Amino acid sequence: MMCPADQQPDPQDPDTGAGADAGAGRLADTASFAALLEDSAEDLYESAPCGYLSTLMDGTVAKINTTLLDWLGLEREAVVGRMRFTDLLTVGGRLYHETHFAPLLRMQGELSGIALDVRRADGGRMPVLVSSAVKHGSTGEPLLIRTTLFDARERRAYEEELLRGRKAAEEARRQAEADRTRLQEALAVLQQSLLPDSLPAVPGVETAAHYHTASPDRLGGDFYDVFPVDGTRFAFFLGDVCGKGPQAAALTSLTRYTLRAAALHDPGPVAALTTLNKVLYERYSGSGDPRYCTAVYGTLEPDPATGRVAVHLAAGGHPPALVLRADGTAGYLPTPGGLLVGVVPGAHFTTASATLGPGDTLLLYTDGLTEARTGDDRTGLYGDEALLAFATGLAGRSPQAVVGALTGLLASFGDGLDDDTALLALGAPAHPAARPPRRGPA
Amino acid sequence: MSPLAITTRDATTGPVLEIIGELDYANADELRERLTTLDLRPGQRLVIDLSGMEFCDSSGLTALINARNHAHAAQADIALAAVPAHTLRVLRIVGLDQIFAVYPDRDSAIGS
Repeated sequence: MMCPADQQPDPQDPDTGAGADAGAGRLADTASFAALLEDSAEDLYESAPCGYLSTLMDGTVAKINTTLLDWLGLEREAVVGRMRFTDLLTVGGRLYHETHFAPLLRMQGELSGIALDVRRADGGRMPVLVSSAVKHGSTGEPLLIRTTLFDARERRAYEEELLRGRKAAEEARRQAEADRTRLQEALAVLQQSLLPDSLPAVPGVETAAHYHTASPDRLGGDFYDVFPVDGTRFAFFLGDVCGKGPQAAALTSLTRYTLRAAALHDPGPVAALTTLNKVLYERYSGSGDPRYCTAVYGTLEPDPATGRVAVHLAAGGHPPALVLRADGTAGYLPTPGGLLVGVVPGAHFTTASATLGPGDTLLLYTDGLTEARTGDDRTGLYGDEALLAFATGLAGRSPQAVVGALTGLLASFGDGLDDDTALLALGAPAHPAARPPRRGPA
Repeated sequence: MSPLAITTRDATTGPVLEIIGELDYANADELRERLTTLDLRPGQRLVIDLSGMEFCDSSGLTALINARNHAHAAQADIALAAVPAHTLRVLRIVGLDQIFAVYPDRDSAIGS
């Protein structure tokens, strides 16, 4: 890399002749380039943009460049022959050197790109990337260790930034997961407030219900309930609120508790739905966001003497209930013309009555069942006729068996069932529980 | 691209909205927004032409009910024209055929 000056052509050489001007310029450039190279070996060593260090095999510093001395803030005299490489390192760096760096270097003869911190005279530390190679003598014996140190401050800052970023991202993810869990727990509790945990025991009546949720993180829009209203009667209702999500859930909650409270004042079906209509209309009509529900509401009056159950119901905007008879027949219990609840102030509701004999079952459902898609087309729906045929096949079976079979039917729709669906079956037991024995004549 | 298009034109009786495509949960709000841009005056009739409607779910029904409320708030009337058979069946189940004037086609709805 050294270019002796005497090998360079003299720019002033008269032999260059006619083309002297152009040639002289080029030669002058070459000369100054050479001059740069001339003093570069020593200067490059001292002022290189990296630290150079040569140590004896025991680590004693034999030679060190100015760059590294500047980084360390030390004078050459204080270092050369007086300090070992490990003296330049932080405590952690020294430990790492003893346990990893030195053994590996002895084994491999060279090491590169090891991240260590050096200690500065001002007490600070400076991250560096260290590479070392052992220089061997002519007979192969190790003579000294040559080490370069690269300034890794920028790189370390970048790595720390990356680490901070990753930590922040992990923290955010943990937080999001915690929030999500909390939200799901809250949703589950709210969802439970919209539906009864279990149906109450109704003397002389068998009950069964099923709720299909279209989406686990969307609060349901269907509802049902069964509850006692006085000593002899029970009330039941089932319905479907418009919309999905939290707004629908709020409406479901309002609907459920309004119907329960209304039933305590007047358990008559039309009275209960009229109260609900008033409440929903007054709550939502002025909001520019009309909200309403379909509902069927009714009362059950079991007669312990006969095992029969009298049913009186009213419906607003709801598909007709089905009655499955013990004799194997089934039919709709039409409630035509009943209007959606909450749309207009003086809505009309349609009533219907039925008597359930032993083995008869009343089936209430929401339109998720009849509107389930059975074809590729959005308008190819399961429909009333198919439901009637299916129900006829279940006539005479218990409410539990009916709901079980319909639950299987819902599952068979697969993706075609994209709405919440509620099922409620109320039946007079085929074999009424043993009545208290009559006293024989004395 | 939205599978719903709504066109507006003016008849002598008032505005006529034509619903083309699917009026469902995903895009029923478009009808709500369109209503707010309508120039609907007292005594007029808002006609909603459903001859090109391919699908209507409960959100679509809500949008129609909202249109009715909007028309009544403007002291105007509302009529549905050419309701597809499936939607008409649903309207009957939920009793809405009682509160909407339903006409077989647009011309009869605007009374011409």
